[in-house]
Amino acid sequence: MKKFVSFLLASVMVVSLAACGGNGTSATQGTAGGGSGESKAAGGDSDTIKIGYISDLTGSTSLWGQAGLNGALLAVEDVNEAGGVLGKKIEVVPMDGKGEPADSVSAYKKLVDENGIVASIGTNFSSCNIPMASVADEKHVPILGTATSNEQITIDENGNLHPYSFRMCFIDSFQGTVIGNYAAKDLGYKSAAILTVAGNTYSEGVGEFIIDSFEENGGKVVSQEQCQDADTDFRAQLSNMNKQNPDVLFIVMTDYSKIALVATQARELGMKCQFMGTDGWDSGELAKAANGALEGSYYLSRIGFNSEEAAAFGERYQEVYNIALEGECLFGYDGVMWVVDAIKRADSADPEKVRDALESTDTFKGLIGTLVMDSATHNPAMDCAIYKCEGDAFKFHEIIKYEDLQ
Amino acid sequence: MFLQQLVTGISVGGIYALLATGYSLIYSLLDFSNWAHGEVAMIGAYVALVVSSSLGGMPFVLASMIGIAGAAIVSYLNERIAYRRIRHNNSPNMFLMIAAMGLSTVYQQAANLIFTGKYRQFDFRLPVSTVQIGNTYLGVLDLASLVITAVILVGLIFLINKTQFGLNVRAIASNPYAAKVLGVKVDRSVASVFLLAGGLAGVAGILYGMKYNIFPTMGNVGLKAFIASVIGGLGSVPGAIVGAIVLGVIETLVSAYVSSSLRDFFSFALLIVLLLVKPSGLFGVDVQDKA
Repeated sequence: MKKFVSFLLASVMVVSLAACGGNGTSATQGTAGGGSGESKAAGGDSDTIKIGYISDLTGSTSLWGQAGLNGALLAVEDVNEAGGVLGKKIEVVPMDGKGEPADSVSAYKKLVDENGIVASIGTNFSSCNIPMASVADEKHVPILGTATSNEQITIDENGNLHPYSFRMCFIDSFQGTVIGNYAAKDLGYKSAAILTVAGNTYSEGVGEFIIDSFEENGGKVVSQEQCQDADTDFRAQLSNMNKQNPDVLFIVMTDYSKIALVATQARELGMKCQFMGTDGWDSGELAKAANGALEGSYYLSRIGFNSEEAAAFGERYQEVYNIALEGECLFGYDGVMWVVDAIKRADSADPEKVRDALESTDTFKGLIGTLVMDSATHNPAMDCAIYKCEGDAFKFHEIIKYEDLQ
Repeated sequence: MFLQQLVTGISVGGIYALLATGYSLIYSLLDFSNWAHGEVAMIGAYVALVVSSSLGGMPFVLASMIGIAGAAIVSYLNERIAYRRIRHNNSPNMFLMIAAMGLSTVYQQAANLIFTGKYRQFDFRLPVSTVQIGNTYLGVLDLASLVITAVILVGLIFLINKTQFGLNVRAIASNPYAAKVLGVKVDRSVASVFLLAGGLAGVAGILYGMKYNIFPTMGNVGLKAFIASVIGGLGSVPGAIVGAIVLGVIETLVSAYVSSSLRDFFSFALLIVLLLVKPSGLFGVDVQDKA
């Protein structure tokens, strides 16, 4: 009896092995151990198209990572409800990059090697996307950074393009140009002073572009001063500026409490000029900290939830997840939509063809506004928003359309 | 224009002065630089911040008083727990300075842990307004803090020069052994000086917090106060005040006419030159072994 049972079992095994050899794809569905074999082929053959999403999903900045993922999942819902793309459903595969460069790189490798993704969205950190860009060039699967503004995300230090690295936000130079432009043309200021932080790449970089575009548009920068990173007293520099009596003072800093100090000290020195700032001003606490000194000031930043489409999405987002809104969810949603748009235009889910389609994107209209691709740099030109200080808060003032910048 | 920079410099120097006098007082008694002094100012600011924000309706003046008292108590405890023991062991003065450095780091890190590195502000805010005299502007808050500083410093000089307490302090500063033999209660006087210096530091911390921000490393301004007290002559209270104003003015003028990047370079270069040329400072008596 025992012998018979073992013979039976053995013959069953032989038969099943033979079946495996004959028709790999159907057999792997039955065997638990065959998971990795299946996913390798997923990018090409399976009935879903996989898009990676990398961000900090567990750590101290997971607030943004989770928001981006939530947004991406809503995009998946929308795409699949509308019948998917190329007759297939799409799927987002999240992978925790912990906001760390090394973890983000290995998350990307894992998504490419084991999950067969066509493209990867994220992260929201320049520090992570810079090393990821080099790896993406080797793996030939495109990555789409979200709030990653560093130049080196798309162009390496030797000035060469990372062909597989893209981004969805404006970079420092674009921002500086738009601000200088807006001050000279729209607000009609003739003379300007500018305060930057010595040795700070962001501050000095954006500052340079503000000066250039302000002067190109007929303005004159009458005073350029710098301060140190740890400074709290700016009156020496401000007094120098005041002597030149500028129409506007550009304060290019990122720490809201310092910006507030500059503004209050300037007013105490009797400065009457307008203040203008960059997306470094984007803090809910700035207006309050300045105690009225910033009244009427402007800064430029992303549109956020201030367009109709984004506001509607924000409501939907809160209905579904019932958590506070974070701008990152717009990037998550638009990232998926942009990749789907590229797949459609490429008529293929092959990562290399999707890359070509991403690069040849003319304009992409998303929740983050209209994004205009520059195929030579992968740095998009896009719609921005101006915010104005009214009382205890900065209020959305107007959208600057990219068309108006041409 | 130059006048404006001068006024700004004096207002910057005013804060240094409150700290520098504390440095000098302690130095005159114990012959060591109390590196934890700046952190005492920081603690004063945080105590006032916590008291004023957690006990909602409390008037800010009262919260400030509690902050100043808090700073005084911490300063006293530094002496009572750390420095006194080292003095009684007859250890070299270097030990006092090392202990002070340790305390400074501990306080800074503790503030970082409790409050994080975030810049904070008092809820109490004077409106942003300014007084114009000719072409020169002075913020109302600046004016108020200069008046407060001046009143306190005049009171301090009176205390040192005209009271029994001041006489005791000067006696100890001159010769602690002789003072002790003549019946001066050395430990008690030293403790009082620490209370006093701590209170002054507390005032400095709160004024600094009102003018700028409150943050864990704000005590680093103590280093500037130290330079000020060296310029003025270590151990001399009037010297510390003059040194502080001189330093504040120099810093402002360098920022305005040279470059803010070179500001600290000038401050420290001045310190080095002074130590080479006139080690006793502007008002000091000849000193040695001044660490």
